[in-house]
Amino acid sequence: MTKIKSYSAQFPQWLHAETRIAPLVIFRIIFGLMMLASTVRFWSKGWIDSLFIQPNNFFHYYGFEWVKPMGEIGMYTVFVLLIISSLFIAIGLFYRWACLIYFLLFTYIELIDVTNYLNHYYFISLVALLICFLPAHRSFSVDVWRRPSIGLNKVPNWTIASIKFQLGLVYFFAGIAKLNYDWLFNAMPMSIWLQAKTHWPIIGDLFAEKWIAYSFSWVGCIFDLTIVFFLLYRRFRPVAYLALVIFHVLTGIMFPIGMFPWIMILSTLIFFSDDFHQKLLLFLSSLFKGRIKPLKAGNYVVLHGFKKKILTGLLVCYAFFQLLFPFRYLLYPGHLFWTEQGYRFSWRVMLMEKAGTAFFYVTNPKTGKRGEVVNSQFLTTTQEKMMATQPDLILQYAHIIKQEVESRGLKDPIINAEVYVTLNGSRSKPFIDPSINLAEIEEGLKHKKWILDF
Amino acid sequence: MKRLISIVFVAFCLLGLASCDPDEVKDKVEYSDFFENVADNMIVPRYAQFQSDLSALEVSLNTFDASDVSSLISLQEQFKAAYLSWQSVSVFEFGPAAEYSALLRANCNSFPANISIIEENIEVGDYNLDFPSNYEAKGLPAFDYLLFHTNNNDLLVELSEPSRIAYMQDCLDDMQDKVDDVVNAWDSYRAVFVGSAGNGQNSSLSLFFNQFLYDYERIKREKLALPAGFASDYGVPVDADTSIIEGRFSKMSFQLMDANLASLENIYLGVGVDGLDGVGIFEKLKEYNAQSTVVDGDLAIAIQEQFVICRAVISQFTNDLAFEIITNISEVQETSSQFQKMVPMIKNDMRSYLSVTVTLTDSDGD
Repeated sequence: MTKIKSYSAQFPQWLHAETRIAPLVIFRIIFGLMMLASTVRFWSKGWIDSLFIQPNNFFHYYGFEWVKPMGEIGMYTVFVLLIISSLFIAIGLFYRWACLIYFLLFTYIELIDVTNYLNHYYFISLVALLICFLPAHRSFSVDVWRRPSIGLNKVPNWTIASIKFQLGLVYFFAGIAKLNYDWLFNAMPMSIWLQAKTHWPIIGDLFAEKWIAYSFSWVGCIFDLTIVFFLLYRRFRPVAYLALVIFHVLTGIMFPIGMFPWIMILSTLIFFSDDFHQKLLLFLSSLFKGRIKPLKAGNYVVLHGFKKKILTGLLVCYAFFQLLFPFRYLLYPGHLFWTEQGYRFSWRVMLMEKAGTAFFYVTNPKTGKRGEVVNSQFLTTTQEKMMATQPDLILQYAHIIKQEVESRGLKDPIINAEVYVTLNGSRSKPFIDPSINLAEIEEGLKHKKWILDF
Repeated sequence: MKRLISIVFVAFCLLGLASCDPDEVKDKVEYSDFFENVADNMIVPRYAQFQSDLSALEVSLNTFDASDVSSLISLQEQFKAAYLSWQSVSVFEFGPAAEYSALLRANCNSFPANISIIEENIEVGDYNLDFPSNYEAKGLPAFDYLLFHTNNNDLLVELSEPSRIAYMQDCLDDMQDKVDDVVNAWDSYRAVFVGSAGNGQNSSLSLFFNQFLYDYERIKREKLALPAGFASDYGVPVDADTSIIEGRFSKMSFQLMDANLASLENIYLGVGVDGLDGVGIFEKLKEYNAQSTVVDGDLAIAIQEQFVICRAVISQFTNDLAFEIITNISEVQETSSQFQKMVPMIKNDMRSYLSVTVTLTDSDGD
């Protein structure tokens, strides 16, 4: 008990104590290059067009109705700026501006359409925000080359710790989310996913085995819950990192999760010692024939008084928000995976298998004339798929239909939906009350009573 | 430190593995037996049948005698055979048929026909059938109009006008050219179709499945719900409109619908034109022991039974669709809801068991 007390007393001091800047610098370079690669990949796959230009309608986040795509020229300009700013982050040129622009633009494109939501996009937004406040450009950067006086050799621990904290959260909460009955005791949805891979050469037959599905489920859960603690201990770090790479490589091969494994594998290098990063820097420096050098000694940043208090306060608030926000689902009744109220922004990654079919009907209130809506006249295939399993998007879609119908001269249409959803291989069940007029329901964060029980 | 570096090195070698696409890992073509059956026993012979029905129509048209009603009747019968035959190939709108030069669905069967454009084309005599604006003035719906829009006596009078026969000949040439191109292209495309691996956007599996679903949804909406007034246009409920029915003038809408359903049903079951039952989607779903999420039990059986039900409800109608919409809307509504029941079975269950990807983008496995 006294030990804990002394730790908690030392912790704030430790946060402001000095450490070498190398890990932060390497992280800056890696992050910038990864974002550059991701953006180029996104562009080359044609997703700018198919996600931001082609759709006729977009699903907004509550409170962000005002975020709209900017048309073809605008969107391509945004992506050009993303490429430039991520490159600038990597080389450390106009670093603070580059981070700020990257953060704002990346967050902007993620806010355009909810159906594009991915946990790792949220992660990138958070990290981009964090690094705006970190002095990651003050060594081994163009900024220092231009103005040597800003060069730093040491930084406070909190700068590197904040990134480790953010990374640790992703794993830990992903692990907590797996602590549910279906995942642990039915090996669901792992069984369904593995079933789809049984045609793989050599190992395919194994995937049909129930015990394999259980092993994958349990190993995944234990890995997520514990990996960050093993990474923190020097003794276990190499083995833990190897396990981490194997884990992400496997999931990367098995599931269409894009850049996520890469990002995690490279980001978690920050858990290695400052010696390790210092050697990496020296190696990089040798590539530039020693013209860019990490500083041997010299400046460091020490914050005092008011600034220090503000910063500590901000960090504490950020940490508390991150720790509490994923638990907001407890405020809602019902089965979380079914209602998805409080589901997003909580590191619930690869957790369930959900699919739905939605039939929408518009009724003319005067004549009683009723017609089935053709979803493809409003939504892309991907949008339709996402909408059909998420109640807030179902409601938004009803409002999109209402707006279109009213613009075509039919006022106050009655809009009903028959939606059938299957969760983790269950029988499709009616998802929402088909008699409810969705056109009359206001959007909001309150519990949606019209969601039927699972 | 050395140990650490070597571990990181090994880790990055593994990364090389991660960078290969999940689809590329599949080195055998899982559906090749199914694709072979579809290509050799359905696609190729069905196109051949459609081709020969068009040739027979050509003979009737070239030997048409406006003074002989039996000549008209035989021309009409040949047209009906060709229209029914078309229903069995409409689903194959991928590969050669989806080439811009072919676009068989748009070129052969854009219904409803636009009567005023047809009449104008015939009157002016100067038209280019390749213009997209002429899609709705040609193809089988144009024949439907020209050969059935009034009684046979009046038709004989009309058709004694050479320009009307010439227009039909041009429409027929247009279809024949495109179908011939498609049939020739399948000689080489067959290998591509059968050899395509994986489930990516342009894989045979994905192309085939999407057309299967599209063709089914077209029966449900364009051929039934829209004329019956159960549908909407951009959300606005539409009124019943019997003038947009497929095969409106020849009054063969139910036969066409049934032929279209039978076409999909045979593909589903794997039954070739020779009547032999080979590998179909049914067999694949059985192989996966697929369970329906919509009804109890086996998905393969559930879809099979739903095809039987859909065709049975159509067969109860004794008159053409236009008449039934006006006099018997509740039965038409029942048909529509039976058609609807199939949608989640194909769109969700079948798609997920066949692992056809919907999303183009990355996911984190919602």
